[in-house]
Parts: sequence; structure tokens; C-alpha cells
Amino acid sequence: MKLPAFLRLTIRNIIVNIDVGTLIFMLGLPTLYLFVMGFMFQGIVTTGVPLQSGSTVSYTTFLAPGIIALESFTAGNIGGGMLWSDRRWGMFERIMVGPFRRIDYLLGIITVSIIFALFGSLIMLGFALLIPISVIVTPESILLSIFAIVVGTMLFSSLFLIISGLSKSMQAYNTITIVLFFMLDFASTAFYPITSSTPLWLRTLSGANPLSFIANILRDSLISTITSGTFFYATILLVVMLVFLGISLRIYKSIRSGI
Amino acid sequence: MQDAIIVDDLVKSYDGKKLAIDHLSFNVKKGEIYGLLGRNGAGKSTTIKVLTTLIGYNSGVAEVLGLDVSRNGTEIRRRIGVVQQEEAFDFTTVENNFKLYGMLWELPREEAKSRKEMLIDLFELNELRKKRMFDLSGGQKKRVQVAREFMHGMDVFFLDEPTVGLDPIMRRTILDYVKSQAKKGMTVLFTTQNLEEADYLCDRIGIVNEGKKVAEGTSSELKSKFGALRTLKIEYTSDSLVKKEDLASGIDEKYITEIEIAGNEIFVVSGKIEAVVGKILQNLAEKGIRSDKIMIDNPTLDDVFMKVVEK
Repeated sequence: MKLPAFLRLTIRNIIVNIDVGTLIFMLGLPTLYLFVMGFMFQGIVTTGVPLQSGSTVSYTTFLAPGIIALESFTAGNIGGGMLWSDRRWGMFERIMVGPFRRIDYLLGIITVSIIFALFGSLIMLGFALLIPISVIVTPESILLSIFAIVVGTMLFSSLFLIISGLSKSMQAYNTITIVLFFMLDFASTAFYPITSSTPLWLRTLSGANPLSFIANILRDSLISTITSGTFFYATILLVVMLVFLGISLRIYKSIRSGI
Repeated sequence: MQDAIIVDDLVKSYDGKKLAIDHLSFNVKKGEIYGLLGRNGAGKSTTIKVLTTLIGYNSGVAEVLGLDVSRNGTEIRRRIGVVQQEEAFDFTTVENNFKLYGMLWELPREEAKSRKEMLIDLFELNELRKKRMFDLSGGQKKRVQVAREFMHGMDVFFLDEPTVGLDPIMRRTILDYVKSQAKKGMTVLFTTQNLEEADYLCDRIGIVNEGKKVAEGTSSELKSKFGALRTLKIEYTSDSLVKKEDLASGIDEKYITEIEIAGNEIFVVSGKIEAVVGKILQNLAEKGIRSDKIMIDNPTLDDVFMKVVEK
């Protein structure tokens, strides 16, 4: 059976990018967040964390969906980084003169990012169940969770594809990704809830952060209640993803050679 | 014979001002090895980038296998092989780089395996097969880059300075393998700055300078057309002193550029060596000087290159 070109490129991306460093970044770091940060903060937040539905859950229960959301960000980062790496090491140009269309290469990156994100999310969900936290399993919650992870990963892949496409040096690429990593990770609802005591600027930043949308959708789906607010977040996430994807396509089309 | 590559009046400018390719025309017949020679920045790599559909062009004709490169990119890319000038490798082992190529080019598993083994043997990569590409030297990476390309079949092979950093034995292995594939019908467009290897490999050579073609022909055609001065070297035995005027006696001055006598060796530089060699030997014999060894240096492609590029 002949595989479509983008799937062949997806397999290539998996083979080339699965290494110890990637696994630590994709699984090790979130696991540490989940267990170390989770249990440390649980000791401080003894009264529990309020959810938007009004109920209160333990900090580890609150954190688990946030850590799963983080997998979208991490996988998107790895995916976008593939373009940078291929440009830096000549493979982008070689693939562009190979039996592929430009769109195949892009689809290959987005597909592998989604696979990594879903795989990482499943592992994190497994760890979360060990804590243990109880998860709501309904067709609706599963579909919404998958939607959030897939769309979120596409959004972050697009963001990092834009950075890869515009970066002219390794230093520039690394600096931007590290700053974004800290800014998007910690100024989001992945780790902490937004409360009335959160400073307005941080509340605004966190509220506009796409990672917060993913974390909120996953939290509503997996440990709380799906409301109209959940679908509002899902719609916003989809729209933002389409905007980022459009920009990344524009930049990607103009890339001709390596760095 | 049918043309596999047609370039006609091709123009390419990156910035809209300076022309990287300046009304370039050449054609490569099916099964032919065509060498594109030129200095750095002469437009060789840009020409390859246009023909391999990586970049567009401003005007003219660029066809590969009868297909317009601006309109049939996907079809052309299925039928070509490319070795870029820059390093291009995946962050994995040497062996995996071959396997990935087999998968990307949809080779059946068994065929991919046997080709991989054949190429690893041929290009002496056995000891390196488990090493990661990052741990290889520049020459070793280049070797993998060229060898890997033969994993898939192709009708036209573009090689952009593929032998840079390779030792002479490996360089010859690669050139011979390319030659053997060309004999089976593969067309080759080859760029290099190593004129010796162009002389060895190419059926025809085009010399480009500042984006323009300045000379074209077979190696011997170019040498005879643009061949620079040739040198006659004579080793002699004589007790008496040899004088330059005795040697040049009876020869039209315009035929002799320089005469030098050093020890028991005479060097005569001439633009028409065939016209002077007989008379010089006769002059020596008349003076009772015995010529022990006579040699005439042939013009090299270097001479041709210097002449056409500098004129």
C-alpha cells in the first residue's frame, strides 16, 4: 500500500525527532510539574481550588488538565522546531526538491505534532489517574478534549512555524522560544486559576493566552461541567488557530532555502 | 538524441537589479554528463535551484525531461536526484538516513534493504553505519549525502559541487559510479570548481561567468579553441653552452613567447608548439647537442578556464 506523501514525511519526522531530549521535553518536564509542583502546591492550597462551575477541587486535580493542555504547547513547539532544524541542516531544501508538494511538508509537521500531543496527553492522563484524580468520561467530554488538544496543537505548531520561518539564527530562535515558553506556560490557567485577587494585567494576559483556552476546555470536560462557556472557549480557540495557521502558511510559502 | 534539460535565454535576479543568471542557454542530451564550471557566484547553483524547481525565474525557458519547471514541479521532482552544495542530513544514524530515503521514495522494503547495503559497501560506509551524522567529518557527511541519493531511481541527476571535502579515492569512486549510471541512460548536470574532475567526468562542459555562458564544448574542443600556451621541455646533453638565439634561429619570433635554459633543461613556451618543435630540435642537432628527452605539456582545462573567465 502506498502512503500519501505527507504521511511518509510524518513517519520521517517521528523517526528523526524521537530522541532522549525530545522525550524529556515532551514527557519528563510535564511529569515533574504534575507530581512535584502538584504535591508541593497541594500542601499550601489546603482549601482546594475553585473552578468556574463553583465547585472546589484539590490542586492536583486542578493541575492535571493544565498539564495535559501543556502537551499541545510542547508538541507544537517540537513541530515548529522541525522546520527550523530542517532549514538549518539542509533537509528542508532537499525535501523541497524531492517528490513532495510544499503542503505535504507542512502537513507532515502538523500531523506529527498532533500525534506527539495526543500521545503525551494520554501519558499525562495516565499519570493523573495514578495521583489519583477522577475523570469524567462521556462521549462529549472525550470529543471536546480531543478537539482542544488537536486544535491547540495546530495553533501552537503554527505559532512556532512562524518563528521558525522568520528566525535568521539559532540564537534568535532559541531566545524567542524560551521567552514564549515561560510567558505562555506560566501566564496561563494551566497552573493557577484566575481569581479576583489576580492583578488585572496578569488576568488579561492569562485570559488572552490560547493555552488558557485549552486548559479551560479540558478542565470543564474532564473534571467539571461542560457549559456554553466551554463552547465559547472552543470557538475562540478554533478562530485563533485559523488566524495563526493563515499567517504561518503565508510565511511558509515564502521560505525558499536554509538559514 | 532527445534533450533532457533545456535552458534557453534564462534570466534570474534575486533582487531585481543584479542578474544571478544572465540570458543563459544550454541543453543537455539524455544520458549526457554536462559540467557547469564557474567561479563562486557565477550562477551555477542558482541554475540548479531553478532546474530542480526550488526557486522561480524571471524569464526564458527552463525545461527538465520536456516539462516546464515552473508548471510541472511535482512531476519533475519525482524523476530527479539532487545533491546540494550545502550539507543536508537528518539527525539520525548513517544507516537510518538510507532507510529514510528508501521510505520517502517509496521503495519496496526488500529493494530498499539491498540498495542500502550495496551503497554502504560501494561508498565504504560500513564502519560508519551506526554513527550519528553529527559525529561524522565533513567529507564523510558528503559521502553519505551523495551515496544516499542513489537509493532512488532517477532520470536526471543534479550534483552541485558534490566532491568538496572528499579524498581522491572516494572522489574517483563517486565519479565512476555517476559515469556508470549515465551509461545506463541517466542524465547528469554537474557543477564543480575542480576542473580536473570535470575533464574526467563530463561529456560536455559549459563555462559560466557572472551568470553568462562564456564557453561551451567537449573538453578537447575547449582546449583546442581556448588552449593557452604550451611548453616544450627538452633535456639535453652537451659540454658546450646552449644559447637562446641558437635555439630560436630560423623561427618566426611570433611563435615563441619565451625560452628558458636551466641546467640541462630547455623550456620553450609557444602558442603554436607544433610549428616550432621540429626546427628547435634541428637547431640543437646542428650544434651537436643531443636531446635525451622531449616533452610537450598539453593545455589543461585550468588554462581554458583562466582564459575564458578572465577575458
